[in-house]
Parts: sequence; C-alpha cells; structure tokens
Amino acid sequence: MSIIKLENISYSYGTTDVLQNFNLEFEANNLTCLLGDSGCGKTTILRLIAGLEIPQKGNIIIDNKIVTETGKSIISPEKREIGFVFQDLGLWPHFTVYKNIAFGLEEQKAKDIKIKVSEILEFFGIENQAGKYPHQLSGGQKQLVAIARSLVLKPKILLMDEPLANLDVKLKHKILSYIKNIKEQFKITILYVTHDHKEAFAISDKIIVLNKGKIEAQGNVEEIKSSDNEFVKYFLEY
Amino acid sequence: MRKLILISIIALFVSCNNSQKEVIVYTSVDQIFSEPILKDFEKETGIKIKTVFDTEETKSTGVLNRLIAEKDNPQCDVFWSGDPIRTIVLKNKGITTAYKLEIAKDINSVFKDKDNEWTGFSARARVLIYNKDSMNKEDIPKSIFDLTKPEYKGRFAIANPLFGTTTFHFAAIFTALGDEKAKQFLADLKQNNVLIATSNGDVKKRVVSGEIACGLTDTDDANEAINEGANVGIVFLDQESGFGSLIMPNAVCMIKNSPNKENAKVLIDYLLSKETEAKLAKSCAQMPLHKGVEIPENIPSLDNIIPMRIDYNKTSVKLEEIQDYLKNWVE
Amino acid sequence: MKKNILNISIYVAIIFFIILPVIYTIFSVFFGDSSFLENIKLLDKNTFLLLAKSLLLAFTVASFTTFFGTILALLLYKTKIHLSNFLKLVLLIPLFISPYILAVAYKDFFFLVFGNSNLISSFFGVILVLTLVFTPLSILIIGSALSNINSQIEESGLILTSFNRVIYKIVLPLIKPALISSFILVFIFSLSEFSVPAFFGVKVFTTEIFSRFSAFYNHSLAILQSLFLIIICVSLLLADRKYLSKASFLAIGNKGTKNNLYKLKNPIISNLFLIIWLIISVALPFIVLFIQAFSDGTTNFFKALELLIPTFASSFFLAFIGAIIIVFVGFIVANYSVKYKKTDWVLLIVFAIPSTIYGISLIKFYNQPSLNFIYSGYAIIIIGYVGKFSFISAKIIENALKQIPKSLDEAAQIASISNSSRIRKILIPLILPALFASFIISFIFSIGELGITIMLYPPGTEIMPIKVFTIMANAPQSLTSSMTLIVFSVSLLMISGFYFVFKIIKRRR
Repeated sequence: MSIIKLENISYSYGTTDVLQNFNLEFEANNLTCLLGDSGCGKTTILRLIAGLEIPQKGNIIIDNKIVTETGKSIISPEKREIGFVFQDLGLWPHFTVYKNIAFGLEEQKAKDIKIKVSEILEFFGIENQAGKYPHQLSGGQKQLVAIARSLVLKPKILLMDEPLANLDVKLKHKILSYIKNIKEQFKITILYVTHDHKEAFAISDKIIVLNKGKIEAQGNVEEIKSSDNEFVKYFLEY
Repeated sequence: MRKLILISIIALFVSCNNSQKEVIVYTSVDQIFSEPILKDFEKETGIKIKTVFDTEETKSTGVLNRLIAEKDNPQCDVFWSGDPIRTIVLKNKGITTAYKLEIAKDINSVFKDKDNEWTGFSARARVLIYNKDSMNKEDIPKSIFDLTKPEYKGRFAIANPLFGTTTFHFAAIFTALGDEKAKQFLADLKQNNVLIATSNGDVKKRVVSGEIACGLTDTDDANEAINEGANVGIVFLDQESGFGSLIMPNAVCMIKNSPNKENAKVLIDYLLSKETEAKLAKSCAQMPLHKGVEIPENIPSLDNIIPMRIDYNKTSVKLEEIQDYLKNWVE
Repeated sequence: MKKNILNISIYVAIIFFIILPVIYTIFSVFFGDSSFLENIKLLDKNTFLLLAKSLLLAFTVASFTTFFGTILALLLYKTKIHLSNFLKLVLLIPLFISPYILAVAYKDFFFLVFGNSNLISSFFGVILVLTLVFTPLSILIIGSALSNINSQIEESGLILTSFNRVIYKIVLPLIKPALISSFILVFIFSLSEFSVPAFFGVKVFTTEIFSRFSAFYNHSLAILQSLFLIIICVSLLLADRKYLSKASFLAIGNKGTKNNLYKLKNPIISNLFLIIWLIISVALPFIVLFIQAFSDGTTNFFKALELLIPTFASSFFLAFIGAIIIVFVGFIVANYSVKYKKTDWVLLIVFAIPSTIYGISLIKFYNQPSLNFIYSGYAIIIIGYVGKFSFISAKIIENALKQIPKSLDEAAQIASISNSSRIRKILIPLILPALFASFIISFIFSIGELGITIMLYPPGTEIMPIKVFTIMANAPQSLTSSMTLIVFSVSLLMISGFYFVFKIIKRRR
C-alpha cells in the first residue's frame, strides 16, 4: 500500500530541470532508500514530499490526501506529519538539546512535554546531554539529537537526507542500527537518501537508484545487487 | 585597483599646497552677501581668495570655534564677522593682531577697537517691523519700552535671545540700563506675553503673514520683507527719547601669525573701502559708516539715526555674563 | 611574520590617526585647562535632568527603529514581496536627507494640513523624525543578518511548526546581535543629535552642550559634558558584550547561503504596511520639498543646481575614499575583535563624541606646522569621516564574521593557504553583503556629514552639505528645498550606481 505518491512531477531549479514527469510510489512501513550521485534529484524528492519545494507540475499525495497540487501547496509542511533529518542537521544553536527536541511540542501541556522528551532521549541514550548546547556535542551525538527531534511528534513518515555523511564507520553502524530500530518501534515509513550503497544495503527494504532525475532501477537489496542495468552496475562498483 | 587607491590617497595629502598669491578668509556673514564682494576682490587684485563660510548658529557651530581651536597654528588670515562681538571674543583670546587702517580714519571711533584689533563697517540696526494692516500709524510703538504696555500684549515677537543679533541687543540693553532695570524690563516683556520666534527671519515671516502685529528684527530682514512687496513698515525705536537704536556693524580683524600677512592687509583695506560699503548697502541694506557713500534711496543713513551709546567691549563682556539669565528667561 | 608587522602597523595607524586626537583633547580638559574645577561646578541638577531626557529620547527612538526595522527587514529580505529590490533601495532614502531638513519638511506638512505645527514641534515630533530617519539603518543591518541564516535551520523549524513561530522563536533570537547592534547605533545617534531637537524647540542634553559652545565658547565644559555621552555609550557596549558572550552562532551551510524567500499568506496587510511606511517616510517629505522648491517657479531650482554642481565631484571623491577606508578599518577591527575577543570600544569613543568636539580635537592635534600636509588638504576630512563612522562599519562586519564557522577558515589553514589568500578568497566573499552594506552606509553618512566637515574643510573647497547649510543661512525656502532635492537625487544616483556594480560583481563570481 502506497503511503506517498508522486504523480507526474516536473521540477526545475533556475534553468536546470531536475525532475521531469517523474512518478514514484513509496510503500507504508518500509524503509526505502533513494540511492544516487549528487545532483540526481534525490534530495529534491525529499524536499518536495516535505513541502519545502513546490513542483511546477504534478501532484503529491500522502496517506490518500493531496498535499501538493500543480504549483500549489495544499497542506503546509508542519501539517503533513512528517519528520525531516537535514543533511546539515539544522540544530538550533541557541537551544539546548532538550529545547531542540521539545520545540515541536510546545503547544502541549508542560507535563506531557517532559514525558515525551525524556522518552525519546532515553531511547537514543542521550539523557545526559539534555542540558548541553549543540556546539558542545560530538558529531554522533548531534546526529542522534537531530533524529530524536524529528521523531518527537510521532510522525508517520521520516525523511532522512544523507544522515551519516560526516560520521566515522563505528558511529555509522551504531546509528544505522538505531534507524532500523526506529522503523520497528515507531511503526513509521522511512525515506532515506544516500550516495553510499553500503548504507543502503544495510538497512533498506527497498532501494531506488536514481540518475539525473530518472529511475534506473528499483527493488529489494538482492534485486539491486543482481541488476543488469549498466548504471547500477557502474554505481555499485564504487 | 589597489594602485589607484594608493595614488588617490597620496593625492589627498598633496592636494592643497599651492604657493601662489592667496589670502584665507573666514566669514560669518551670509555667503550670499559676502561671496560677491570677495569674488570682486579676487578679480580686481588677482589675489586668490579661499573662504570658509559659516552656517546659521542653530545648525552648527563652525567658524568662530574653528578659529579658536586653530589658535596655535593659524590657517586664517582675515576674519570678517557680522558683528563686533565675535571679533572682541577673538581679541580677548589673543587671536587677533593690530592693524591700523588709514582708510578707516573717517569712521566714528565708537565703531573701532581702541587697540586697532578690529574695525567696523557697513552696519545693520535693530528695528521694529510692523504689519500695516494690523496697526495704525498712531499705535506704532516709539520706544522699545513701549512694548511692555498693555495695548501690545501678545502682539509682538522677538527672536530667541540666545542666538544672533538678539543676544547682542539684550546685552546692549543690559549695558545701557544696568542689570536691575534690564531684568525688570525683561520680566515685563514676559508678562506682556512676548512671542519668542526662532530667528529674525521667523519674526519677519510672522509679521508679514499677519500672525503678529510687530516684532524686533534687523534692518536687512526688514528690508527684504519690503522688497518682497509685503505691507509692512519699519521704525527706528527710541529716536525721540535719546536712548537710540542699536547699531551693529560688520567687523573685520586680522589674525595673529597668519600665513599671508601682506595679502591680509590688502583684503582688509578693500573690505573697508567706500566701494564695498556701497555694494553692501545695495545688496543687503546695510548702512555705511564712512561719510559720503552713495546709497540707494530706501536705505536710511546713519547720519539720521540716533544710535545707542554703548561700548562694544563692555557689551561683549555683558553678553557672556547674562547667558544663564537669558536661558532661564526664555523658559 | 610579515603579516604580523603589517597588522601591527595598521593598528598603530588607526590609533594614531583616530584615537589619539580624542584622548589628547580629553586629557587637556582635565590637566591642561585651569578652569576644570569651575566647569565641574557648572554641572548642575538641570544638566542631569536634560541628560535623562536625552536618554529617554534615545531609548524610545532606538526601540521604535529596531521594531519597525525588524518588520520591514523581514518583509523585504525574507518574503516574496513585489518589487523588493526597488523597495530596499527606496526605503533607504531618509538616510540621505539630513535629519534637519526632514524636520523642516514635516513641520511644513503639519502646517499645511493642520494650520499649525504645535503637534510636531514637540518631543513627539523629534521622536517621529528621528525614527523615520534611522529606521533605514536598522533595515540594512537586520536585513543583512537575515540573509545570512542557514536555510536548513529555518526549514527544520518549518517542518515542526508554523512560519510565525519559526520567525519568533528561531530566526529572531538568532539575529539578536544584529538587533542589538541596530539598537545601540540608533541610540547613540539619537543621543548625539541636536539639530532636530533645536529646530523643534525641545531642550535636550546636546542642545545644552551646543549652546555652551555657541554662546560661551567654553570648550572645556562642552568636552566635559561630552564625556557623559561617551561613558553612557561605552557602558552600553559593555552590556552588549556581556549579554552576548555566551551565545555561539550560526553556520553557513555547505551548500552556501541560499536565502529562502517565503510567500506571505496575507500579503494585503504587509503590502499596506509597506505602502504606508513608504508614504510617510519617503513620499511625504519628498512631496513637501518638491512643493517648496518650485513654489516660486523654477528659477531657484536652477540657481540651486548652479550652486551645487561644483560640489559634486569633490563630495563624491571624499565620500568614496572615506567609505572604502572606513570599510577597511572596520574589517580590521572586526576581525581582531572576533579573534581575540577584545572590544571595539576604542572606535566607539570617537563615534559617541559630538561631531563638533571631535572636529576640534582633530584641529588641536593635527594643526601643527609639521603635520600641515595632512591638515591643509582633504586628508583631514577623511580622517574625520573614518574616525566618526568606523564603529558602525566594524559592528556590521563583526556580526557577519560571527556567523562564519571557524571550520571554514581552519580548513583553508590546513590546506596551507596563506593568510592573505584566506582572507581574500574565503572570508571576504562570505561576508560580501555585509561589506557592501557597510560601504553604502559609510558613503551615505560621509557625503551628508556636516558637524566635522565644517570644522575642517580646507578654505576655498566646495563640499555639498556645507554648501547647502551655508546658503541656507539666508536663502528663500524654495532655494533651500531645491538644493535638498538635488543633493538627495545625486546621492540616490550614486548609491544606485553602487548597487548596480555590486550586482555585477556578484554575478561574475
């Protein structure tokens, strides 16, 4: 069952056509990986789904609701029940870890906020960092805070844009296992963007290989590994 | 690009170092009146004139303070002031030097410094300007002290006495009457609802518009109103009582240790000539102090006016003394 | 090593040329002049009451300008409002017009409409005019900071909450340094302003200092009173330092600074606000000036042109060179402040002193036969400008520098790129908008500067604001207004030229 549908999406940035008549569906409760080089449009797809960009043509449907129609945003980003982990994390430097995470909850009762934030901090094992500021954290800790923040409102969909880009191998493994865990614990659909096929193979239920705004191949890990597609084979060599 | 900037910066430093015949003048007389005279001087003598003009006192304070600050290494040769008070201030600070002018022999000694450190010429007077529609001939005040009478209550104006010629006027009154009587007079004026305008020009504006019936101002402002075609008249006050109208001459002085002494003397002689007085009579209705200068018809001659008998030196001292009192009085 | 010597000599030059004259003057007040004790006695209760009044005025104006400046900056720099580039330029206009002349225009407007000018010849009138004059400064400073926020910081907020909350809770707190800088700068400007209060007949501390000069020529007392201003300003700066010391700031993202522009949900209100502001701050005075200028036909307009044309070249030259040096000095000081956590209070002292007194210090210091080559040329005026306005430049550039993560510079260091290359190729391009804003502000202020210029301008030279104010002393209203119109049009043309050039430079990169 598709929870996200992109229908005939065309999106250009300046004079560059990033996507043209692009169609794609994502299944619910899956961890789908968008794999490809820089500039292939994978980040753009995430941003379109989040509502941070509006396509010139096409519709986006989330959970059977039209969220974006040709040229118009029908439902604004904060109402789409989506979590987003940005490539640069986007942590707010003037808030502590606690406040970074609590910020999305501010319209709820103080008691509830405390409970929810503590839960999430515990889940990621960063309770001790609650009072620190982002610049006082290590790379891995920052990453976890960013992910925690995106989950605190219990969204249906989690979008992750190259979340492991700046981490060492050990940390990557640790966080990848967290991500796998998240899917189970939170019953959530995850879209994961990366250019590293090893990451993709480690956690994905489904992989979509993109090249210059076109889908080269889609399938599960085995199917991709054994794909005949020239681009995919070339891509996997590195 | 960097070279260009470097060159321009060097050019800045070298810019003003010509060593030709020149004389440097600072003046507080309005540029509109002083500049033509100075330009004529340049044409007639071939000496280049470099001028520093002044802005109105209420906008900034420039020339006089600049002269005082430059005292130890004067840049200016001649200071042309619109009144003797400023030149007296400079004299008291040791900034001027004596220059006895042959050409000023026929000027009344009251308009000259006894040590020859400043000389007066082309004078304005304090007058009463009145709106002919608001006032009948019989009602016109004859003396400045009439302004404390009930029939003029709230109908007259003066400019802010903290600045300009009005300060001078009040200082002269204090010198002539003595502190006690003068303070009483001022208090009576306040009681009689005197309107305090921002400047002489403002007084003129309000009388012309009919907002008030009459006001104290200078001859040049008053004449301007008449030239603009306004239905106003001018009165020299206190002619019958003998108290007299205040005469405020221009004053010129030479700066001590100035860079171009000889040229300075030439300029001062020029400014004090009958020709200059004739020009100033025409351009801004200022009355010549020399005898026998040709003047246009509408300009009164000093021979026909009874002046206030004051010592300018004493007045200048008094001016500094009464400042605080005046400040309080204005409130 | 060579770089250090260059740096040191630059600092020494700054101190020598700018700061020393002021310190020299202040010392001579305390130790040189025997009338010091007498002058102390003259500082009475009245003086302090006036000081309090001035502080209230400055505080009110600074608050208003920061408030309106923020709203306008958000609209102009963060939304897809129509004609934003045009508006950014046009709304700067009140900065080009001397506050005094704006005051005259508003008074005449009130007279025209209400028949009298009582409403505006008041404390309220002073606040109104100063707010309108200085808000453009706030817009520039705050807008510059808004442009530098990493878009992902905003977007991560937009995913979680509404646009308004993102603005209030994330964007505005992150540009606090700019908000505070804007407040402090306007506060200091308002505190030292006297021509507007004098015109409206409102007594404040500066009119008091000024009358000491005019009437008494009591330099020492005036300088002493100025010390109060300096002390207040320095305290403000110290408070600013302390308050901001804990914050660590923004990152310019790896993908560069893409500035997000947002569509407004309710453009009508915003557009209305912009239009009203435009009318009150630009259209109204302009129309009044226009009416005044042509009230007796066109003769005075042409006369004004004739009077002003000889001043254009020298004024432009002085302001241009001055602005470049100001940006340079500002950059050096800002760089130093950010690296070594020292304060720029040194420049602040000079900024806080009333122009006339600074002019006098420069005279006393430079008017020596040995320094004649500086004093008798244009150099002295430029020194005046640089001293007076470098503080603003340093503040703007400092805010921009704080927003650059150390890592960008360190990455270059590791790659063995020389210091000067790092500065030229990495640092400067990243803060180019701030450098440009600083240049524009410095140019505008320099070309309109009166207080210092009149004390220092070489005899016989023609400079625009001097010409306007000397002629104004005895000229019909139409001539004065014509001159103002011309001055402002020419300034506007020059500034537009700079914007145009800047766009080309940006595109080439």
